[in-house]
Amino acid sequence: MAEVEETLKRIQSQKGVQGIIIINAEGIPIKSTLDNSSTVQYAGLLHQLVMKTRSTVRDLDPQNDLTFLRVRSKKNEIMIAPDKDYFLIVIQNPSD
Amino acid sequence: MAEVEETLKRIQTHKGVIGIIVVNAEGIPIRTTLDNSTTVQYAAQLHHLTMLSRSAVRELDPQNDLTFLRIKSKKHEIMVAPEKDYLLVVIQNPSE
Repeated sequence: MAEVEETLKRIQSQKGVQGIIIINAEGIPIKSTLDNSSTVQYAGLLHQLVMKTRSTVRDLDPQNDLTFLRVRSKKNEIMIAPDKDYFLIVIQNPSD
Repeated sequence: MAEVEETLKRIQTHKGVIGIIVVNAEGIPIRTTLDNSTTVQYAAQLHHLTMLSRSAVRELDPQNDLTFLRIKSKKHEIMVAPEKDYLLVVIQNPSE
């Protein structure tokens, strides 16, 4: 548990990182550095997006699987690392 | 038109690039370096996924918009650069 905390702290102190959210397999946020309403919004939408992206990857090649997703937008970049039981979401402003 | 060809050629000769597809606003591939069936499959799936990603970004912040999408999988990485009328899709094997 301390290792998790340390990792989150390390990511959080990286330049430009606006927020970190960990969601479980059901899309429920279990840890977040953002306020509650933003967390719930991000968690819901990104969980759905990752599931669809994973299906797309598998549809294109059933032997393949999603390992990482980067959604770059005008204002920031959202990085999602999906795992078996959890998703790690980091929102970063790349220009910071 | 020559500029487009040159750009596609430049990307194609990049290390690890497996294929390039240019998709129009309807999801129809208009240029490709891959075989027909792969192209059609990728174009349709990625067009759909890009639309979903764009909606997710806009739902989180209506002033924001998707600028780039990177889908990393076990076997390769798919990069999608959405524009107003087209999508540029590049499939690359990062380990090459």
